[in-house]
Amino acid sequence: MVLRLLKQAWPVLGLLLPLAVIVLLADQFGSISVERSVTEALIKIVTVVGLYIFIGNSGVVSFGHVSFMAIAAYATAWQTCCSALKPITMSGLPDFLRSHTYPVLPAGISAAILASIAAFVFGLILMRLSGIAASISTLAALFILNVVYSNWDKVTMGTASIVGLPTYVTPWLAFAVAGLAMVIAYLFQISSWGLALRATREDEVAARASGISVYWMRLAAFTLSGLVMGMAGVLHAHFLGTISVDTFFLSLTFITLTMLVVGGMRSLSGAVLGVVVISFVTDILRRMESGVSVSGQEIAIPAGSQEVVLAVVMLLVLIFRRDGLTKGREFAWPFARRQSISETKHGDA
Amino acid sequence: MLAQDGGLHARDVHVAFGGLKALKGVDLKLRQGEVLGLIGPNGAGKTTMVNVLTGFQAATTGDVTLDGRSLKGLGPRNVARAGVARSFQAARLFRDLTVRQNLEVAAIGSGRKRKEARAKADALLDWIGCADKAAMLAGSLPYGDERRVGIARALALSPKFVLLDEPASGMNDQECDELMLLIAGIPDKFACGVLLIEHNMQVVMGACRRVHVLDNGKSLAEGTPAEMRANDEVRRAYLGSKNTGSQVI
Amino acid sequence: MLNFIQVLFDAAALGSLYALVALAIGLVFGIMRLINFAQGDYLTIGAYALVVPTASVTPPLLFGALPWPLMVAGVLATCIIVALLTERIAFRPLRNANPATLLISSFAVSYFIQHALMLVHTGRPKSIAMGSSLAQAIDIFGVRIPGVQLVTMTVTVSLLIGFVILLKKTAIGIQMRAAAENFQMARLLGVRANKVIAFGFALSGFLAGIVSLLLVAQTGTLDIKMGIMPVIFAFFATVIGGMGSLAGAALGGFLVGVTSVLLQAYLPPDLRAFRDAGVFALVILVLLVRPKGLIPSSASRERV
Repeated sequence: MVLRLLKQAWPVLGLLLPLAVIVLLADQFGSISVERSVTEALIKIVTVVGLYIFIGNSGVVSFGHVSFMAIAAYATAWQTCCSALKPITMSGLPDFLRSHTYPVLPAGISAAILASIAAFVFGLILMRLSGIAASISTLAALFILNVVYSNWDKVTMGTASIVGLPTYVTPWLAFAVAGLAMVIAYLFQISSWGLALRATREDEVAARASGISVYWMRLAAFTLSGLVMGMAGVLHAHFLGTISVDTFFLSLTFITLTMLVVGGMRSLSGAVLGVVVISFVTDILRRMESGVSVSGQEIAIPAGSQEVVLAVVMLLVLIFRRDGLTKGREFAWPFARRQSISETKHGDA
Repeated sequence: MLAQDGGLHARDVHVAFGGLKALKGVDLKLRQGEVLGLIGPNGAGKTTMVNVLTGFQAATTGDVTLDGRSLKGLGPRNVARAGVARSFQAARLFRDLTVRQNLEVAAIGSGRKRKEARAKADALLDWIGCADKAAMLAGSLPYGDERRVGIARALALSPKFVLLDEPASGMNDQECDELMLLIAGIPDKFACGVLLIEHNMQVVMGACRRVHVLDNGKSLAEGTPAEMRANDEVRRAYLGSKNTGSQVI
Repeated sequence: MLNFIQVLFDAAALGSLYALVALAIGLVFGIMRLINFAQGDYLTIGAYALVVPTASVTPPLLFGALPWPLMVAGVLATCIIVALLTERIAFRPLRNANPATLLISSFAVSYFIQHALMLVHTGRPKSIAMGSSLAQAIDIFGVRIPGVQLVTMTVTVSLLIGFVILLKKTAIGIQMRAAAENFQMARLLGVRANKVIAFGFALSGFLAGIVSLLLVAQTGTLDIKMGIMPVIFAFFATVIGGMGSLAGAALGGFLVGVTSVLLQAYLPPDLRAFRDAGVFALVILVLLVRPKGLIPSSASRERV
């Protein structure tokens, strides 16, 4: 019985245990900069798992998801930051936000829920489209949100940064939220709705003929992924203590999509593995950009190398291993005989 | 409604794609508990007819009723939930899901709870003899199994009527015989009428007691397989098409 | 009234520019179902080819120093070569991938080009003195029209005519249209895929070169991200017009440009800042009403 439960939870546990070890090591022995890198990667895990819930299960690539991060980040900022400056810098806020400050926990939760509501509302329209038209529309949504938040000066301070958010995000908190995101994603993926949505990903026509509503399944996933993106947005905001709208735009979209594609967008393991691998690579490159001493000599690679390498990695994976590092499989239970299922190769969708 | 309105009933169905008329008046009635063959030369409009019956294609004029209720305006999903399921010529399995999950999806689609859906799936897998392949990915199935899983998936909806679109194409003789028995057994086992679209006359003869012939978008004749074989018009329709009739019929 | 005519000219000029970018995107989409996000970066590279790579904000000229026919040729050649290289290295191996994968890959190519340019030229915006003679306004019946706008419109119209002739009359043009209609069929009929696709990319590079010259003449600045907004607008223009339809792409580009200028001119001042949001919302709206765009291509809908 215990074994069966363990086996069922393995796709999540198998990911969480190594992560826990990394966090523990970073916490005990790592420098502050390592600790920050690890925390950042964990926040990225929440983000990419959020993306995965929709993209991985539905097969529809969305370019608009980081908007929901922005929505939550701003929502939590409005509730928690800079009580003295708020009435001046964000004079357009409604009174309950302008002249009150709320505790971080309810602020974070309500912000994530707001992101999820926004995803639902956008989804009501966007999910009517399918295929490439849906992807383009999510991109349009990203731009709409960016334009609105960049120009809504009295509420968002326009393109300026909001500073002074409480920074309460520790590695362990980020780890806990990442775990929660993974559990949410996994429970959804094995649920009836998750299964139905995966069927629409494989063959929309056959799914309709099987009585599945493509629209509602996608909308459900979109809303849920909006919630997790919101969680990521809250973490992001309270990790850095400052937010600005351009953080949540094309660059972040690209990096998180890269992580998902490199890991393998059809599995939760892929989403997490992608973050770990890409975070590791970019972290090393970032350190090299800021200069490392090799046998007494300070060597730095030029700024921008990080992104160039990232793009090349992305292209190489797309060309040579289109299903990502995990090939869209979950980590198999390590103690069982190898089953035919983990061996079989599937065709391209 | 009147008793005679039971069943899946298409009346004077026309379908036009722009100027091209794919169906020009088809009357077809599928009764509960029977296997009706739908045959005709290539391009006769058989698949279009299946699309009309399952809500994938709206009829330009004409109507389809299920037990007296019009299916007009219902999309594929709602037609499926109302009780008309179909399989596809190219199987169209959910390749990256397991065989069992393929069936589960359809059972869920018909409104079942997860547990019931799994039980339904397992029962159907037993019936088609694929129980041992339940955990395999559908994309890795051999051809013959793929076809049978496609049929089982349609049945997992617990439909009143199931429409099978060329389930035997590409199968060898032995597989065809097995399939024929399977199809012939559907009405009794699942209390479900079957419309069988098939080129392979051996399968049609074995599985159907009644055959409906389409030609050039119109209903040409209906009767027992033997009658159809003897029917001059039917022979002419086949011989006049690109198929050499003797091979097909 | 005069003011209105001036707005119309602004609208037509911007519309023309977007139409050219959209045409390039539509061309490539037609033949390989790739929405090429990197189209904007071809344009950026073309613009940067005008100057010598330095960290300076007012860099010395490279192609920009040449007499103008050579300068134009240099920029066009640069764009065409880059477009062909991206096709050969990144897109050809992915030719049979689904549109979503292709879209992501073009995102990656775009990201690559932008940051590679940043490595060479640094990320600082630069100014470049060029085409000052074009910047002078010409007075026509009291309406002052910048010379650049006239040039833009003239170039667009002649290019559109040129494209129609190319696609209808020449062998390669006819092959391209065939490939856009039905790629598999075209291959069976002996159209050589590599040649047609490469030609399509070369054309898209050519268009990028033209647009980059027009843009630089208009603004006099260089920016690593200068290609993004034109390509985004053109991107949506292609979708609005009907993906795979060249006439639709050109029309869509024109519409998007005109809409954005008109919104800019006639929205209440408070809302002007949100203009682009309006344009993007329009995209979603059009897709909802006509998922296949205003002029759908004949690429068949999915058969059951």
